[in-house]
Amino acid sequence: MSTEKNTNSGIVQYTTFYCDRSLLGLDISFVQEINRNLDLTRVPLGHPCVRGVMNLRGEVVTMLDLRTLMGLPKSPNTIRNRNLILKCEGETFGLWVDGVADILTIGSQDITPTPSNLSLVDSRLIRGVYQTENKLVMLVEPRELLAASLTGIRAAA
Amino acid sequence: MFQDDELIHEFVVESSSHLAEVEGQLLQIEAAGADIDANLVNTVFRGIHSVKGAAGFLGLTVVNALAHSLENVLNMIRNRELIPTSPIVNAMLRAADQLRSLVDNVSNSNSVDVSSFVNELEAIADGSGSDAEGSADPHEQVIENSGIETERAIDSYINYDAALLKDCELTPEAVVATPAPPTISKKAPSLPAEKPAMNQESGNSQAKQARPADAFVRVNVALLDRLMNLAGELVLSRNQLLSAVSIGAKEGLENIASRVDQVTSELQETIMQTRMQPIGTIFSRFPRVVRDLSAKLGKECSLEIEGNEVEVDKTIVEAMGDPLTHLIRNSVDHGIERPEQRADKGKQAMGTIRLRAFHQAGKVCIRIEDDGGGMDPAKLKAKAVEKGLITGEQASMMTDSESLRLIFAPGFSTAAAVTDVSGRGVGMDVVRTNIEQLGGTVDIESTLNQGSAVHITLPLTLAIIPSMIIGCAGERYAIPQSSIAELVRVPQADMETKIGRVKGAEVLRLRGALLPLVRLDSTLGLRTVDEHSERPKSANILVLETGQMRYGLLVDTLHDNEEIVVKPLGKHVKELGYLAGATILGDGYVALILDVVGIAMQCNLRNIESSVKDSISDEDDARAEEVHRLLLFANHSTEQFAIPMAMVARIERIKASDVRVIGNQKLLIYRGNSLPLIRVEESINALPPEEGVANLFVIVFRIVDREVGLIAPILRDIRDIHLNMDSKTLREPGVPGSTVIDGYTTRLLDLFELSRAKHPEWFVSEGVVEAAESEEMPTILLAEDSDFFRNHVQRTLESDGYKVVGAVDGQDAWDHLQTIFDDIDLIITDIEMPRMNGLELAKAVRSLAASSNLPIIALTSLASEDDQARGTQAGIDEYQVKMDPARLMDAVRRMLAKT
Repeated sequence: MSTEKNTNSGIVQYTTFYCDRSLLGLDISFVQEINRNLDLTRVPLGHPCVRGVMNLRGEVVTMLDLRTLMGLPKSPNTIRNRNLILKCEGETFGLWVDGVADILTIGSQDITPTPSNLSLVDSRLIRGVYQTENKLVMLVEPRELLAASLTGIRAAA
Repeated sequence: MFQDDELIHEFVVESSSHLAEVEGQLLQIEAAGADIDANLVNTVFRGIHSVKGAAGFLGLTVVNALAHSLENVLNMIRNRELIPTSPIVNAMLRAADQLRSLVDNVSNSNSVDVSSFVNELEAIADGSGSDAEGSADPHEQVIENSGIETERAIDSYINYDAALLKDCELTPEAVVATPAPPTISKKAPSLPAEKPAMNQESGNSQAKQARPADAFVRVNVALLDRLMNLAGELVLSRNQLLSAVSIGAKEGLENIASRVDQVTSELQETIMQTRMQPIGTIFSRFPRVVRDLSAKLGKECSLEIEGNEVEVDKTIVEAMGDPLTHLIRNSVDHGIERPEQRADKGKQAMGTIRLRAFHQAGKVCIRIEDDGGGMDPAKLKAKAVEKGLITGEQASMMTDSESLRLIFAPGFSTAAAVTDVSGRGVGMDVVRTNIEQLGGTVDIESTLNQGSAVHITLPLTLAIIPSMIIGCAGERYAIPQSSIAELVRVPQADMETKIGRVKGAEVLRLRGALLPLVRLDSTLGLRTVDEHSERPKSANILVLETGQMRYGLLVDTLHDNEEIVVKPLGKHVKELGYLAGATILGDGYVALILDVVGIAMQCNLRNIESSVKDSISDEDDARAEEVHRLLLFANHSTEQFAIPMAMVARIERIKASDVRVIGNQKLLIYRGNSLPLIRVEESINALPPEEGVANLFVIVFRIVDREVGLIAPILRDIRDIHLNMDSKTLREPGVPGSTVIDGYTTRLLDLFELSRAKHPEWFVSEGVVEAAESEEMPTILLAEDSDFFRNHVQRTLESDGYKVVGAVDGQDAWDHLQTIFDDIDLIITDIEMPRMNGLELAKAVRSLAASSNLPIIALTSLASEDDQARGTQAGIDEYQVKMDPARLMDAVRRMLAKT
């Protein structure tokens, strides 16, 4: 692909996925894999956003619930739910999302700043917004996501 | 200037290993003093020399210069031109320290100023050179030497290079040159207090910390070869497996599976071995610690080290560095007294600290003993009360060993004045936490004015833990075997009586004691308390034990024992206190590993524990009886008998049909031998067992060197019981007394008398013969506070013809001894007695010259090794378990024969 290694023009591939009805995007270089593994071990007394831990080929990986992280109520599992396995700052963790949409290649010039009226999320988590023909994609900053989830846990503890 | 990182790295590794040894060797040189061991000096010289050589080659001028001046002094010692006195060795140690820190931070070494060290060493070389009469001008000699050295150094560069090449090729005879784990680099942070005294150099400390954590292991090539072989085996097995699977063969599969199984476990074991390191790598730093610290404190201490070669997992070796350093420093600082104090107590001026490592029961034990002042339990208690750690009431109930453990409590320090060495009141607490984090335990013993001993037990490895898998609310959890004391199953019928409540907290009644009970499901919020009331099924309880507490954990199901591999947890769940990690079970399921201490903290167990303690003390009457562990069984279901557990060799379950009757004897054919069986109802007044029992238990015990089985149709329980025996009502031969347990009148059986009643022929050869030989039977002084036991032992002794003088406690025995001293041939004493206990009695007896050889046998209910050691120290010759007359008689005969 022409976008590979082409950092000068600021072109990045994003995995897009759903959280409730909103479409979010994550830099694909942080996404290790996408699976639909439901074999979770519950972690009692853990933070509500921790769905459990999972065996990812011999590694024990924590699974987080995206809806809870975003301050939304949990919803029942559907056939479309997926695990995004992310690796960020040495920490591997999973994100339970409401379904994976598409992979988009977006140049930095096409990204607009976060609109201030987005009530859904803490604006810190969002790098910016990308407008497709009929949809709005919010681009998530993975480092902020990890930090926010950890501070949420520490605050609760 | 730095040609090659690889090369530099090699230099660091090699120099570090040289320098690591230098310290100990310098200390030895100092100890030898004027009596110079040329070989030893040569070894040090060569070590420093190769550092110097390699440094010169790599352009490390500062390292080179410092090594050079160190080498000069060593050379003079080698040539006996200089006597290695303390100040000289001090200077050399400082220089070696500096050299090490230079090597540790090699890239900045050229910018460090070492002139003060070089000057000091040169002054030593000059000073003594001018003193030495008739020798050549020291300067000339130095120059001369360095000339030779340069030549030799050039040689060594070449050798060094060759060695490097060899390593690169991985020739089998070379130890694989993965960079060394130089434990020295850790040393700097662990000795903060002595730094100001030792290092004037300011750049020193920061340089030392620059070294990254030890990420490498040195592995013996032989071990690596074995790993290669095993890997080869594994590949072979895999090929076999693949081909077997592809052709669908069924029969060979089992063989292949067992082969894979075998190879895998061997592989695992061998890989574990690569992680093993001799504990000596941390021990080697302690001679220096002791030397420097005792000099600073004006004390005289020697350190004896044993067990350098004992191997432990690398992680454990590294993690033990700081706790051990702290303990050793404590021994020097608090333990060993000043020489003048020692002289007052009649001890040698030189105090001794012994550091020992050894294997015991699959674990590694480390013992630190000193012959110093010891600790006073009363003072510790007073201090703890003063600091508000315990209440006065609690203090009055504490035993001596419990009070000694107070030093591990957070915020406790006994040093009268807080010194910079120890006594900051955080130390022992941290030591305990560190050791417990490693899955180990720590305990302390101390005798006032005689010394203290800290005993540490550690697992061999942390990576694989034998664990019990348990189930709770549909999830599986792992609990390390090391913290499980026993498993208890309470059947539904017994729930009411065994599980009770004390001040709102649930407790388990276990062998007469109360144990705090924790429900795993409600502790972890898996189920609410209300849900329990609906399901009063039988309960599975794990009795868990950590250094600090003991409690029962109620779980739903018990699964298998598994050897689990610990996996780290992610950041999101790491901080949950009840978790020690996670593991992946055979079926791929992730099981969380429970932290035994963490769970106790989670439900504030300390509170429960103390309330349980309170209630126990309420229940107990004031008079403390000794605890005996009794096996309770029934012959007929309406009766109950008890046997001291100490006498039981083992218990077998047999079919009633296995019992053969030959002549008038009952026998059990068992492991190719015939075991004589006795029945309770044949020897004493008892109801025969009910008919139609298919399975029986046989309690096997030893008497007069033979194994005998007692048929016990119904086993009831094993209990720790405060014996309060009625020795009159139901007395008959074989039944020394009775008591009431759980509403049953329980008769205590004397297996000795019981067997003698049934088989008098077994006992013919003994006692009687001896009685004929000696005109007068020896007299035995028997000290025992319980009437029941005294009467029992007295009867047993008298039945063999001995004369017995009874005493109701140690003081009474002591008084007797004063009046009829000449008549007494042997003393048998209980340990726990009012007024004067057995140990005190033994000490008193030993203190008299006339009775210093009088044999003393101690009788105890439960003798641990520690107790025995204490007894031996007090002068007790032998320990015998109460209620085992056969062995007691044997010991009495043996002892009397000796005198």
